[in-house]
Amino acid sequence: MSLFDRLLGIDRRWIFLFVVLAVTIPILAPLGLPVTTTGSTRAAFDYIESLAPGDIVWLSFDYGPSSAPENDPMAEGFLRHCFLKNVRVVVCALYPLGGLGLANASVARVAAEFPEKKYGTDYVNLGYKDGAEAVMRRLGENIEDAFPTDVNGQPISNMPIFQPKHQTIPSGDAGMGGNVAGIRTIGQFKLVFTVATGLIGEYWITLVNAQFGTPVIIGPTAVSAPKYYAFIGSGQLKGMLGGMKGAAEYEQLIARKYPQMAKFYRSTRLFTGTKGMDAQTGIHAVIILFIFLGNVAFLLGRRQGRT
Amino acid sequence: MELLGTWIAAFMTLAVLSFLYKDNPIFRFAESLFAGVSLGYYVGITLDQTLKPNLFEPLATNFSLNWDLMIAGLLGAFLYMRYVPRIGWIARYGLAIYVAYYIGVEFTRKLHGEVLPQMARTILPVRGFDFSGIEAFFTSPGMLALGAIIGTYSVLVYFFFSKEHNAVTRPIARLGVWFLMISFGAAFGFTVMGRVALLIGRLNFLIFDWIYPTFGV
Amino acid sequence: MTGLHFDTGRVLLLVCFGIVPLVGIALGLLAPSLRRQMPLIVAFVAGIVPILSLYIPKRFLSAAGEGMSPRLDQYLIIVAGFALPLGIVNVIQINARKVGRTEKGWVFSLVLLIGLLVMGAFGIYGAVSGAGIGFLPDGSSTPFQWMTDWLFRPLQATIFSLLAFFMASAAFRAFRARNVEATILLVAAVLVMAGRVPLFDLLAYPFPPLQPAAASLSQMMGRVTEWIMDGPNSAAQAGIIIGAALGAAAMAIRVILGIERSYLGLGKGD
Repeated sequence: MSLFDRLLGIDRRWIFLFVVLAVTIPILAPLGLPVTTTGSTRAAFDYIESLAPGDIVWLSFDYGPSSAPENDPMAEGFLRHCFLKNVRVVVCALYPLGGLGLANASVARVAAEFPEKKYGTDYVNLGYKDGAEAVMRRLGENIEDAFPTDVNGQPISNMPIFQPKHQTIPSGDAGMGGNVAGIRTIGQFKLVFTVATGLIGEYWITLVNAQFGTPVIIGPTAVSAPKYYAFIGSGQLKGMLGGMKGAAEYEQLIARKYPQMAKFYRSTRLFTGTKGMDAQTGIHAVIILFIFLGNVAFLLGRRQGRT
Repeated sequence: MELLGTWIAAFMTLAVLSFLYKDNPIFRFAESLFAGVSLGYYVGITLDQTLKPNLFEPLATNFSLNWDLMIAGLLGAFLYMRYVPRIGWIARYGLAIYVAYYIGVEFTRKLHGEVLPQMARTILPVRGFDFSGIEAFFTSPGMLALGAIIGTYSVLVYFFFSKEHNAVTRPIARLGVWFLMISFGAAFGFTVMGRVALLIGRLNFLIFDWIYPTFGV
Repeated sequence: MTGLHFDTGRVLLLVCFGIVPLVGIALGLLAPSLRRQMPLIVAFVAGIVPILSLYIPKRFLSAAGEGMSPRLDQYLIIVAGFALPLGIVNVIQINARKVGRTEKGWVFSLVLLIGLLVMGAFGIYGAVSGAGIGFLPDGSSTPFQWMTDWLFRPLQATIFSLLAFFMASAAFRAFRARNVEATILLVAAVLVMAGRVPLFDLLAYPFPPLQPAAASLSQMMGRVTEWIMDGPNSAAQAGIIIGAALGAAAMAIRVILGIERSYLGLGKGD
């Protein structure tokens, strides 16, 4: 039996051990490898940077714990970016298997970093709703129909966040049902940022953007990112943060623009996209090596078979 | 409580990872617990986040305006008739509205949001080639437009299964397959990053949130 | 009935989704052969209303708040809420039977049921008591949120992280350049992987004199990856999207018109 044959027949638990080492060593001893910026992330960052103070955006948690290491840094980076720019954020979750818990945790975490931001005025968490597409169709006509209350059961009709920008609210006259025209529909939002695994992210693009015209940026998992290049090409997306690399690129762009964020990302104990990229590089090298070795053995074996 | 939670999470993480060595009762315990907790999670979010604010509270606070929501509640309840012997066929009414509504929404969503924009994307002027270098040529607007047109339509020719491919369509379909292979290869490359990210997250938790604090690092 | 808000949209929805099903159930109880037709009428209306509302600006169909289509959207949020936990009954039946008969693996079925009941109970308590299922006003977690953070999240994340290992094993054992197409796939995969991460920077890390060249190579690979994604990949994905969307639209017409009925448990002859 040749060396390559023995290599191909190796117990897969040795392969698992290699994988663990390839990931653990860079975590224990970070190398600080550079992260280059791609066009889709740059486009997303530039669009968010173009928002003005007081603009209102929608953040949808359309992922679960199965993709949290990739998507959490995107969602929290976006929240921090919006808070830095004094942009109002409306948060919801449409992913049934865990989206709500992640939304609650991320909003609480980032809100604690910005104590000057007021719940109900600068940001609000509307919670989870079943029905995805049905919810989005309702958002196109009346947000309150889909989300009558926030995550804690408080009616949203009197929340100041849904007032138009620069609107002073006479007491007793505020709210979505009052005489003052408020922000009632998703079409009035400057941006929908969907952090997604699976189809719900696609619904924001092909339903909300197509039918109501709201610009969309998506933060998909790396598994689904290749598909969204077609939507970037057709102009249906303003930008995309593709997987953990996209999250790391976005964090670096924020850190370069906002020095206080550079300090935060250097010192935080939280898991960030940037922290994960050294380990990603290590495991990519190992898997390319596995593919190379496997194919060399295969080709040598095929040549031996012919002779 | 956070310390207890961290230890529970660490134990569950190691219990699931133990499957990599071999299947064992501790892994199966964690797997079963996950299945149960997931289903219980559905109960909580559905009741607290959807049914309570969108059905029960509107009926309780303004019945005259929202009386027709009872129809939705009834149709939703019909879905559970499938578990009752002899009247399981009543569930067809709940299924009919649920499946057909989303199919209707998908119909317009697919055509407006996918077919038309993607086809519009291929109606591009093929001009603006830059021959100053290899990178310049392949990234020139003309080349990208030509690639988009050839790639998209050759893939569509491949997917046309209603008629057998002939001498003209067969090579075009083969070209479409090559474009698909590039796309699937790229998807695999991205998938590696996606799957490994989860492992990085778990190992990061074990090291920095469990082991290091336990040993005072 | 006094004080109830009636408009054309609500009345039509009452007829199509209230009266028709009730009549159908009554007829079905009388004669089993009459159990098939009425659901198809419900399906037709449910499928056609969202489509027509986009093209026919009639008040009864698409007026905000009172047209058939907006009210139907409201209904489906509620029906989807009922649908999500539908499988739970089946799971409880199967696992309770296993525990009751102490079949092989009954302990794990018991663990499943306990997890389901405890988590579900916390969810029901949060909904009924008004405390909710997230964070309390003082910032502490409700029992539901606590179990989500320390049981549900770690378990789901770790189970999915196993895929990384199996993917690496598959890459080693199965990813072969057996023919032209497989070779194209393999080359594209390797190029994209090499371009997504600073691979050459990693390889040159122990060799400082090589680092500038390695950095240039990494950036070049990054540009190659970007071109693959924006060029051939994007074109192929557009073709897949168009093809799949046209297929889905065709299936939608078949379901709405009642030609396709398998989702109702009805065969072609029914």
